[in-house]
Amino acid sequence: MHIKITYPPVEKHRFARRKLLNILRWPFVLAAVASVIVNIAIGGVFWSSIAVVALWSAWSLIFSVDLVEYNRTSQSIKTISFAIVLLTLIDLFLAPGFAVFVVPIVYFAGLIFCAVLLFTDFETQRHNIMPLLLFIFFAIVTSAVGLALWHEHDFWPLIVLGVVAAVLLIAIIVMLGADFKRELIKRFHID
Amino acid sequence: MKETTNVFAEYCSTLSESDAAAVRDFFSEFNVYFKLSKKESRKFRSDFENALMAITRRGVSVHEALNRLSMSNLGGFYARPAVQWFPLDEAAKIYPFSMDHGRQQMFRLSIYFKEDVVPELLQMALTFTIKRFPSFATTLKKGFFWHYLDTVKKRFAVTEECDMPCQPIKVSMSGSGAFRLTYYKNRMSVEFFHVITDGTGGMVFIKAVASEYLRLLGVECPADATGDLYDVNETPHPEEFENAFVKIEKAKSGGGFVEKSALQLTGKPANHSPCRVLHLKMNSDKLREVARSQGATVTAYLLLQMFLACHASTDELSGDINIQVPVNMRKYYESRTLRNFSMFCGIRLPVDQMENREQMLREIATQLTEKAAKDKMHAMITSAVSIVGGIRLIPLFIKDPLVRLVYSFMNEKSYTSTLSNLGVISMPEPLAKHIDHMDFCLGAPAINRVACSAITFNNTTVFTICKMTSDPTFEEKIYKYFLEDGLEIEVEGSDHYAY
Repeated sequence: MHIKITYPPVEKHRFARRKLLNILRWPFVLAAVASVIVNIAIGGVFWSSIAVVALWSAWSLIFSVDLVEYNRTSQSIKTISFAIVLLTLIDLFLAPGFAVFVVPIVYFAGLIFCAVLLFTDFETQRHNIMPLLLFIFFAIVTSAVGLALWHEHDFWPLIVLGVVAAVLLIAIIVMLGADFKRELIKRFHID
Repeated sequence: MKETTNVFAEYCSTLSESDAAAVRDFFSEFNVYFKLSKKESRKFRSDFENALMAITRRGVSVHEALNRLSMSNLGGFYARPAVQWFPLDEAAKIYPFSMDHGRQQMFRLSIYFKEDVVPELLQMALTFTIKRFPSFATTLKKGFFWHYLDTVKKRFAVTEECDMPCQPIKVSMSGSGAFRLTYYKNRMSVEFFHVITDGTGGMVFIKAVASEYLRLLGVECPADATGDLYDVNETPHPEEFENAFVKIEKAKSGGGFVEKSALQLTGKPANHSPCRVLHLKMNSDKLREVARSQGATVTAYLLLQMFLACHASTDELSGDINIQVPVNMRKYYESRTLRNFSMFCGIRLPVDQMENREQMLREIATQLTEKAAKDKMHAMITSAVSIVGGIRLIPLFIKDPLVRLVYSFMNEKSYTSTLSNLGVISMPEPLAKHIDHMDFCLGAPAINRVACSAITFNNTTVFTICKMTSDPTFEEKIYKYFLEDGLEIEVEGSDHYAY
């Protein structure tokens, strides 16, 4: 069978991400399983949950990155969310007492950072706004619940969190105008 | 970009006063048509400049070139904000879940012109055509419950081909498209992520791009001779974006999705997928005659050859070879949709009953008639719509792992290979005479070692084999079987990449 070559020569591919993931998956799974087993074996607080979430964060943020909507807004929110979850777990299992104060500070700092990313390139980032809207929604809920539960603590970070989230939401609504409703319709369509 | 501007300035300095004035006039309108970022607008301006120089280099007057490149062909598409969006159709909903790093459901359509492609004009052809296909000018986004396509107003770049066909498209970045248009020598190819369209929609698109490209080259096609070709300056019809599946009344019962596992060819999967693409070109009249002489349709005949080649390419002694055949639903249900509107059926034969060709052909023809029948497809559509309806209120972050898990059980393991036959493609005569042939290629499957497709144009049928294993048995056998039946085959394709 004589084949007439009609395609350009292809340079050898770089090490494919899929291949890398297939190799790296196992050390990650092993590390996660090992930490849980060691934790159960030696007893004590459930510190392995922190190790598992940290491994999952690294896997998801560095190696197996998002295949849809991988942009600066979504990745910043993902990073901040993982940080918040890890801080909460550390508070729960290792060093209780700081999360009520620290987590809202990290959260509103993250919101401000995301707002900067959004408003410095609004035309592009307006199409990536969904994760930010959810982040704002949870910030308002966190602030409200936090104030209801821990109002006897030093609660100014919770107030700031609620205020920053509300201001950011209003700013987005104003900037998007009629597109805000359209954004919600398309992001929450069920058909 | 700066370099292009300098070249264009130099070019303008060589023009006569009246030509230079015409060019200035032409570009004075530019900002009316482009309400984009400066960076994006500059790219478009550069495209216009390059196209103008490319046309006049061919001996066309500046006035004629400007006429061909008239900005009215943009139709205000880039002057309006991106507000349209499209929910995914029932067939497309699975594709974002089936994606993985380096793996995507792709297909490719190619047109071979009689002359080498002029990239500058192809770029303009795409720019002028895309407005007619707003559901193609989109980017894949995540909603709370489902993925969807969001319109993006940007320059969709034409690039020179430098890789094997159907490599995944990075759809994750802001504004990244879901198709790519490439060229290589006399070939223009469009590779589609299946989420935006199926073979029929893709064919409408590539024909429109080709006709616009030929218009820019100066090929006239009288308005009464355009046939089924889309007028790129016409306003798109809402029916072209419809999710045609949901318009079909539900059947009494669903079915057709679950199939038992099928044999896979024994060759070791190559690291490079596909590792080879081969196009077997043959005379379509002769092919039809051979098929008819054996009492079969072309599709049934091609399936027979595939079954025989699969049989020769597996060491398994028992089990079934199952070949998936996509079925275009437009032949059963009136629809103008350019979105996905096809289902599929599986033609299954036991591997230990492949001795008698006539018997095999009868069985293939019977299964094709029965399994691709309207009632079976209707039941399958009903199942698809019901499944989608059943999970629609589950948030995407929960749905994603669940659907991936289910898909991993239902995917390609049920099939040995695929045969997608797009049938006979026609183009208006004035345009067809500038086209040599077409081909159609399916993207690399994850598990199956081979995927086949066929298309007929200008009395040439191109049977394409997309290989995922180095083992050459399949293509060698099928080539031999075609020759034995008296078909003259010309084989074109890629080199072999086994690493």
